This record gives sequence, C-alpha cells and structure tokens, in this order.
Amino acid sequence: MTDTYLTLVNTGVTKTIAKRLGLPRPVPLRRHRPGQPLTGGPVLVLHDDASARDADVVAGQLVGWDLDVRRHAASAERYGAVVLVLTGAAHPEDLSAPVLAAAGTLRSLESAGRVVTLSRPATADDGPAVAAARQGVDGLLRSLAKELRAGATGNGVVVADGVPVDAPSVLGALRFFLSTRSAFVDGQPLAVDSAGGALPGDWDRPLAGRVAVVTGAARGIGAAIAATLARDGATVVAVDVPAAGEQLARVANSVHGSALQLDITAPDAGERILAHTLSRHGRLDVVVHNAGITRDRLLANMEPDRWDSVLAVNIAAQLRIDEALLAARGTRDGVLADAPRIVSLASTSGIAGNRGQTNYAASKGGVIGMVRATAPLLADAGGTANAVAPGFVETEMTARIPALTRQVARRLNSLQQGGQPVDVAEAVAFLASPQAGGILGRTLRVCGQNLVGA
Amino acid sequence: MTALPSTTAQSGLPTDPPTPDGPRRAVVVGGNRIPFARAGGPYVRSSNQDMLTAALDGLVARFGLAGEQIGEVAAGAVLKHSKDFNLTREAVLGSALASGTPAYDVQMACATGMETVVGLANKIRLGQIDSAVAGGVDSTSDAPIAVSDPLRRALLDLSRAKSTQARLAALARVRPGHLAPAAPTTAEPRTGLSMGEHQALTTAAWGITREAQDELAAASHHRLAAAYERGFFDDLMTPYRGLTRDANLRTDTSVEKLATLKPVFGKGLDTPATMTAGNSTPLSDGASTVLLASDAWAAERGLPVLASVVDAQAAAVDFLHGREGLLMAGAYAVPRLLARNGLTLQDFDLYEIHEAFAATVLSNLAAWDDERFCTERLGLDKPLGTIDRSRLNVVGSSVAAGHPFAATGGRIVATLAKLLAEKGPGSRGLVSVCAAGGQGVAMILEAA
Amino acid sequence: MTSGVDGADGADVPAPDDPATLRTDVELPGVPGLGGLYARGVAASARLAALSRLGRASDRLPGVAYVVRGVRADPDRLTAYQHLLGEPASDALPAGYVHVLAFPVATALMVRDDFPLPLAGMVHLANRVQQHRAPVLGEPLDVRAHAQDLRRHRSGAQVDLVTEVRSGGDVVWRGVSTYLAKGVRLPAGRSGAETPDAGSGGGRRGGRPEFVPPVPTGQWSLGADAGRRYAAVSGDRNPIHLSRVTARAMGFPRAIAHGMLTASRALADVGRARGDAFAWTVEFAKPVLLPARVTVRVAPDLAGGGYAYTGWDGRCGALHLHGTVVPR
Repeated sequence: MTDTYLTLVNTGVTKTIAKRLGLPRPVPLRRHRPGQPLTGGPVLVLHDDASARDADVVAGQLVGWDLDVRRHAASAERYGAVVLVLTGAAHPEDLSAPVLAAAGTLRSLESAGRVVTLSRPATADDGPAVAAARQGVDGLLRSLAKELRAGATGNGVVVADGVPVDAPSVLGALRFFLSTRSAFVDGQPLAVDSAGGALPGDWDRPLAGRVAVVTGAARGIGAAIAATLARDGATVVAVDVPAAGEQLARVANSVHGSALQLDITAPDAGERILAHTLSRHGRLDVVVHNAGITRDRLLANMEPDRWDSVLAVNIAAQLRIDEALLAARGTRDGVLADAPRIVSLASTSGIAGNRGQTNYAASKGGVIGMVRATAPLLADAGGTANAVAPGFVETEMTARIPALTRQVARRLNSLQQGGQPVDVAEAVAFLASPQAGGILGRTLRVCGQNLVGA
Repeated sequence: MTALPSTTAQSGLPTDPPTPDGPRRAVVVGGNRIPFARAGGPYVRSSNQDMLTAALDGLVARFGLAGEQIGEVAAGAVLKHSKDFNLTREAVLGSALASGTPAYDVQMACATGMETVVGLANKIRLGQIDSAVAGGVDSTSDAPIAVSDPLRRALLDLSRAKSTQARLAALARVRPGHLAPAAPTTAEPRTGLSMGEHQALTTAAWGITREAQDELAAASHHRLAAAYERGFFDDLMTPYRGLTRDANLRTDTSVEKLATLKPVFGKGLDTPATMTAGNSTPLSDGASTVLLASDAWAAERGLPVLASVVDAQAAAVDFLHGREGLLMAGAYAVPRLLARNGLTLQDFDLYEIHEAFAATVLSNLAAWDDERFCTERLGLDKPLGTIDRSRLNVVGSSVAAGHPFAATGGRIVATLAKLLAEKGPGSRGLVSVCAAGGQGVAMILEAA
Repeated sequence: MTSGVDGADGADVPAPDDPATLRTDVELPGVPGLGGLYARGVAASARLAALSRLGRASDRLPGVAYVVRGVRADPDRLTAYQHLLGEPASDALPAGYVHVLAFPVATALMVRDDFPLPLAGMVHLANRVQQHRAPVLGEPLDVRAHAQDLRRHRSGAQVDLVTEVRSGGDVVWRGVSTYLAKGVRLPAGRSGAETPDAGSGGGRRGGRPEFVPPVPTGQWSLGADAGRRYAAVSGDRNPIHLSRVTARAMGFPRAIAHGMLTASRALADVGRARGDAFAWTVEFAKPVLLPARVTVRVAPDLAGGGYAYTGWDGRCGALHLHGTVVPR
C-alpha cells in the first residue's frame, strides 16, 4: 500500500509547501537490507555511575559488532545511536548525568538514529528509590521517543534482575533496536526475563536450519513473515486457507518453502501441520500464528456469527493447534524439541481497545494472555512464546478503511506513518530467533509508538 | 449392437510378463490442479500456458520443490495454438521449478494426461529419471482460431513472394469468403460427427437408458460435492483466478432436475434421444499435474508416496465404419491390462472411468458384462462381469468436475492415488479414459 | 490417327449390340479445357433441343473414341484434391482423381456435333470404376474415352461414357459414367430396356423400395462453396455446381454438389481398407443442394465382401447416393 501523503511531503514543491505550513512531515523509514551497516554512524554509550561495569560490557559487545563506539559525548559528533546503560540506577537523580549528556547529541543524531536504554524493571521488591529510578526510565523512554524525528526511534531493554547485560536476549534485543529491523518499533520497553537463548552463529541468518510454520501466509503480513524468516535462514511452511491457495503457492515458491492449504479452525489442523512439516522437513521449530480476521461491529449490533468466527480463527484455533503440537512434543521427534519458538500476532487493539472491535480485541487480548502462559510450557527445551502487536500497518485489510480515517490513523504515532508488513515480520523474526530465548511470554508492539494504548 | 469381431484383446498380451526382479517402482507423490472452469468463465483470458504454469506452481509449492530440477516434465493440450509448440517447456520456464528441468509435449486427445503419466512412469521405472511431473491443460475459451486454408496459403505465398507482381498475385487470390476464421470443433475429422453424436450411436446400440445416465450424473455431482465438503481436494487443488471449486459442480442437482433437460445428442436416430447437457461433460478450461518419483527420490525429500503406477495399456478401435463406438477403446484396453497382470475386473477397490458422457461409462460397463462382446470382440471365454458401482468414481468424475481434455488424466490419477492411500496399503485401483480418434488408456494404480 | 477395337479388358458393361463397337480412335493433342467444352456444349445443346423438338434426334453415337496420350497429374492440383476429399496426400492418384483427369476427354466427345444428346442439363446417374492399381504421380497415362449403350430411360435417354486409363499399354483404371438426358425421346425399338437400378435423379419413382436410413457412421458438412471448391480441384466448372444464380439458370433452386465429390468422399471414408485394386460404384439419387449436411454410413458390407456406403439427408431422410467399394 502506498502512503501518498508520505511521498508528497518528501518530494518537490509539495515538500516545500508542507514545510511552510508546518504540516507533519514523516520521513520514509530506513529498512533492513542484508549487508547494511548496523547503525548510521558512531554509537555513543552513556551510563550512570553505578552502571559503569555494565556499560563497559555493552561497549565491548558493540565493538565486537564492528561499531565505532564512543564513551563520551562530543558536541561536534553526529551519532548513529545512543545507548543509555542505566541498569545500576538506584535513585532518579542518577539518571541526570547520562540523560543530559545524551540530550546534547539529539539534534545532531543521524537520520534513522537510535536511542536505546538498558535498565532493570521496577518491582515490588525494590526499594522505593530504586523502583522510582527504574520506572522513571520507562517514562523517560516513552517521552523521548515522541521527541525524536527523521525516522529515529527510542526503545528500551528491560533486563530482569540477575540477568547479565551480555545475556543473549539482552544483546539480541539491543541489536534489534539498533538495527533497521526495528524501523517501526518505537517507544517500546522490551523485557528480558532470563539469560536463556543463544547468540546466532551468523547474525544475518539466525534461523539457519530451523523449520518455521507461518499461518495466514498467503498475503500481507503473513507473506512478509514467510519472506523474512526465509531470509533469516528458515525453511518455511506457508499455511493458509484453501481458497487463498493461488497466492499461497506464490509465497511458498518465492521463499523455496512448501505450501499447506488448511483451514486452521479444522479440528485436525494441528495434526495436519505436524504431518506435513515433519514429513517434508523433518522437524518443527517455529510456529507463527499470524492468521486472523476482522468482523467489526459495535458490540450492541454484534451478530453471534461475527463474534464467534473472529474468536474461532484468532485465538481458539491457535490454542487448539498449540495443544496438539505440545502434546506431540514428547512422542514425536523433532516437534518443538530444540529451543522452540511460538510467535503469535496480537494487536494494539487488544492492548488499548478499539471502538467496533470488541470481538477482535477480545481475541487479540487473548493472544497476549495465551503467550504469557505458553512460554513456561516450552521452557524445558529452551523455548518461549511471545506475541507481536502491530499498530497501523499498510495491508489489504487497512486499505479497506475509509480514506480520511486511514489518513488520520496513519499519523497517530510518533513516526507519523503506517508500518509496512515487513516491520511486523522483522519483530516476529527476532522473537523466533535463538537470541530471543530469554524473552518469555512478552508482547512487542510494532506501532511506531501509537498514540493510543500503553 | 451389431456384432462384428474385429480387434481382439489377445493381440495385446505380452510374451514376457514382468518378473519380480523387474524395473523399480514409479510412484505417485501427489498432484495439483486448478479448479476446472466452464468455457467462457473465469479463465476466459487465460492461455494454456498460463493455466499449466499455475498448476505447476501449485504442485511445486505443495511439495516444496521451488528451485529444484525435476527429471522431466511432460504435459500437453488438445486444443493447441501453433505458438505453443513448446508449451510444457515454456510453462516450466515460467514456473518456480529450476530452469534446468527438461520438458516435452504429448498429445493424445483426452488421454493426453494419462499418456504423460505412462511415459514418465516408465522412464522412472527404467532409471532414466528419478522424478517427473505429468500433466495436461486445455482451454476451450482460448481455443486456437486459424485463418482459412486458402487465406493461409495466400499469406504464405505472399511472404515468400520476391516481386511486387508475385505479391499482388498472391493477394489477388484472396476472396472475401476466405477471411472467415476456422475454429476447432469437437467433430471427429474422419466422420464429421461430434463426440456426442458418436456416443449417442453407442448409447443406442447398448440400450443405455436416460434414467441410468441421469442417475450416474447426479451421483457424480453429489460425490464431488461431498469430497469438497470433507476437504478432500485441499491438497489436490490450488485455486486460480478466484475460482476455488470446479465451476460445473451442481451440489443441488438431482435425478428429477436432470430429467427435465432436453436431449441434445442422438436426435436423428430411430431410438429415443437420451443424452442431455446434464449427463454429458461441458466444455471446460483447466490444468492438472501429477508428481511422480522413484521411492528413493520421494524418501530423500520426505515426500509422501500415495500409490505406485503398476501398469498401463492403450487401445484403439475402428469407429469409422460402425464396427465399434468412438469412446469404447477403454473396454478393450482394460481386459488386456487385466490379462497381463493376472487380475479380474473384480480385483479392484476403486474404479475411475472417465465420464466423457454418463453413457460412456455405462456403455463400457454393459460391454464388459456382455457375453457376446466379451467373446466375439475381446476374444475372452466369458464376460468380464460387473463391478461394484459403489467403488466407481467415488468422488465424482468429469460430468461434475468438467473435462478440460488433456487435464482429465492428471485429475484422475492424482485423485485415485490419494483415494488408494486413504484406503491403505495394497488397495488397488483401475483407471480407464477414452479419447477422440477411438482411443483409450487404462492404468492400474496400487497404494504404496 | 489410328484405329482400334474397343478393348474388352475389365469391361463390366457389355456393349455387344452397339453398332459403334468398331470405332476410330481420334488422338487429341492434349486434355481439352472443360470451360470451352461447356460453352460448346451449351451451344450444341440448343441445336439438339431444336432437332429433338422436330423429332429428329439422332439415335447414333459418334463412331470415334478420343485418345489423349501422356497425361500427367499436376502435383499441386493433386495435393489440393487430396486435401479437399480427405485422401492421404500420397503419390498414388485416388480413383476419383483419375476420373477428374480423364473426364474432359469424355466431355469432349459429348460436345461433338454428332453426339446425339445435349450436354446442358445432363444428369449423372451412376458411375462405376474398376481400378487395377493406383496410377502414381508423374506416370504418363493414356486416356481413351468413348460413348456406348445409348438407351431409353423412363424420363429420357441415357448413355454410358467409358473412359480407360492405360499405363504402358495396360489398363489400370476404367470408368463408366452413366448420364441421363431428360426428355430426349429415342426412336422406338432403340435398346428399349430401361435400366431399373439406375437412379432416376428425381427420387423414389418407378417402384423403387422406400429408403430406410441406416445407423449413421458419419456426417459430411458441405458448405455453400463446396461446389466451387471441388470445381477448383477438378476443373469441372459446370454452372449447376458453382452458385445459386448459375444453378437457377439450369433449373435447380441452389447449387448442387458434384456427384463425384460425394462419391469420392465416400471412397476416402473407406480409407486404406479399399486396397490398391477395387471396384467402386455409385448411384446418385436426390441431388445434394448446397449447403448441406449429408448423413452417411460407410461400413463393411458382409454380403458384398467389401464396403457399402450410403448418403442421405438426415432431416428428411431422402437418399442422396449409395454405392460400394469392393477390394479385389
């Protein structure tokens, strides 16, 4: 889907006019291309005093990624990214030095620049000052993200107590946020719950040797997920309803995967996914529950069929399939056996609610709950389950929204534009990767920091 | 019927039957077709190459073969444009298969699809190739239309002419009447009778009733509909151009509704005309493919093995001079196949007899149960007998699904292979497909 | 000019009482053009019609046989003929094509001043061919044509035109075409026997058994241009075959198909089963008005030891032609 406004305010005469009128001027986001440098310039690592050791560790890792790492802010420098290591902050006052140091760099941040905070979660066990400092980072991050311009984003890695900052998922999340793979993720704190997971042998192909099932893969976000997982090295089983078989075949062939025409609401859907995947590819490591439908109506006008069909496809089918797959883990070789990943598609509607989408929001809220409870079931094999909650993404589905509503919906986020299917797919691919093994039952929003919702 | 001993089954018997140490097996891994459309329907702008490519791509996707080099692809079309001289190879080049996959065209009228399976299965059995895709496609919507012979000759002479005078001379030969295009017909070239008129003669000769034909037609629709309902075609079909089911399928048809249709064939005969549009196949567009392989090739890729291609037999009859019905060759091919494999007509769990017309199936069945036919024409001691009709065309056939000529063989082979796999190891199926020119191909499949 | 005696070779039509059995051979320099012959024929017919009205129609056939030596088939015309009739385009000349080659020689005889019957309006009743072997392309053929057996018919007078085609002195092909000149009264006593089996050209008269259509084996679709197309390959541009207008001038509502077009099509339908040597007969009944769909049965004729064929109008059931092809 093309965003004409985005094109207009960035080209020719209309660019000048938009500038004069002070219209919002979103910039085209820079997205991942294999071989691209990780950041657009040097990376500045700042920290509070108590976080010095963690900052050293982080800086060391960044150097290991061939980044030009700076430890002190220089006013003349244009940074590609600023990493704020605040894991040791014990009092809100501790934030002052690093944050103000970072402030001086923001005006000269490279386009598509990145600000990433590393902090610890505030819990009831913390002392009040510690909790205040930690929770303060959350507020700081969300506000800072709203101030960034020119495709720059701010995101946070919230590292559980006891998990070192060089744990695979901390580094994985940090790298994801620094990279253009997270182009449409903005203002999001992502929790790392454990030191689980593993760093990939090849950061460009973290899914090499892995077999992934993607439902709803015939078009839109599902097709992008299939392509992205395949790009990252996975063998993809593309699943969609028989009626979508023509597009499904195209997707499967383009990623050199296989197509399975299947209605996921069928009672034997899980078994058929298993049969196809095991016979063709010998194993099943990643399941991406992407298939979903909308049947919008105000609840007062809701026909039972609209409610039931949305719940059936968007959550009940996922539960039934997961149940079948989990049941097969013990009995059949290769089923979710080694660091398995389940990634489900939630929605910002399921977090913040959306008028006319009670059924959809119920199903997507359900997904958020489901992954939280599913992650522990996979823990024995180093596995996890997480969700991705897209905001406004340019798809065939959102293309059906009336034009004016669509224009407004696109601008209601910090990046002032809709996301692309690939933005969601990148988040899914990250959560499916070995380096995401310490992220347990979480939901990552891919919404450009949508103004509504958490 | 007029009894005229002509072709006998004995002539097809082998002198050296296959031994246990004979060639390796060729197996059916699976199939893919696009839904069959009615002529002038959603595929009206789709060429044979378009449809064959779509069917190939669906097959490639189903079995994860993108970028793979297959041993050989063979397919064909009955109604073929001259530009499609390399139809199958062109389809392969446009598909997701590796471009190093060789391909060739086959043309055996409505038995084209069957013959591609036979030829490729034999190559696999001989070890010449390890994998193959058989297929067929036809478009009656995008049928080739040629210029008239006189115009064509004049144009060819014009292109060869060296002088203005010669060019003018060539052009001067063209008359307004020559400008009328020549469209292909379903008429047999040597008799001028349409296939329906030919079958009407056979139908009358065997005394096949209207009721029996309508019953078979209704069963074809109901069984096809039931198969769709249970998702049987989910892994045999890939939608195309918005069509997700065979367009000809009438789930709500009935013997009563079919009985109201007016006969269209056999109206000039002295017996009542019984063949209607309802118990005949419509002109259709569509394509089908079948993935064949050696056991080892399939196993290496974790691909399923539905059934093995046991044996096949072609036959032809002299329909020109009233000796035999145009579409009765299957009645001759089957007994030869049975004899060579030491089987009786009753030794099968499933039968697939192509419903060119409902009456074609019934005429074949009547012949096999007819003492005189079996002794005089087939040279047998006794009739082949009857078959259990509940095992015949159990998920419908061409009357319901439609019949894009060259695509029917692939549809039937893939369908039967899956049915046999469902029935379990050792179950056996018999296929018979009749074709224009008085030909037919029969085949035995056995669940792997 | 040479003289010779009518060969009895393969003769299936005895002509013992014909006083003209002893004929003079007149050798023509080449096969005459049919167009000119028809023009002459029309003129001669007018003269003959006048004589006939005066009751002075001659009852004597010309005492000559026309001979043309070294006739060769033209490859392009042969191919066109073979394509049109559905014969394989081999080097063997179909029996019907040999008729086409030789026909103008017989026609030349019929437009002689001393030929007693008018060419215009003449009806082709029947044709019998004995082929001993198929002549081949490039083979020089000698064609000899004479008329014999002028006799009465219930609606006029009929005559046989006998054409022999020789190669190296041997007769390879011999055709006898029976024509009817309607309304021509021959003097009483002149070969009074009317041949009952010859078609009347008009349908079912003379006690002929009612025609019952058999089970068909095929159908010929003959377009409005079928006569013109056959004329193009055969050279027989008799106006009754060419167009509605020209046919009307000759008393037919529409153009009619050449009899030999239909008979030759039937011969092609028999196909290779006829072999190289065979007898081919046809009797023509109701003319085929173009365009037409002729329903046909071409099937083994167990009693005759060969093939029998029948062509009829599938809608009204009227017989157009029937005949046999018997391999020898």
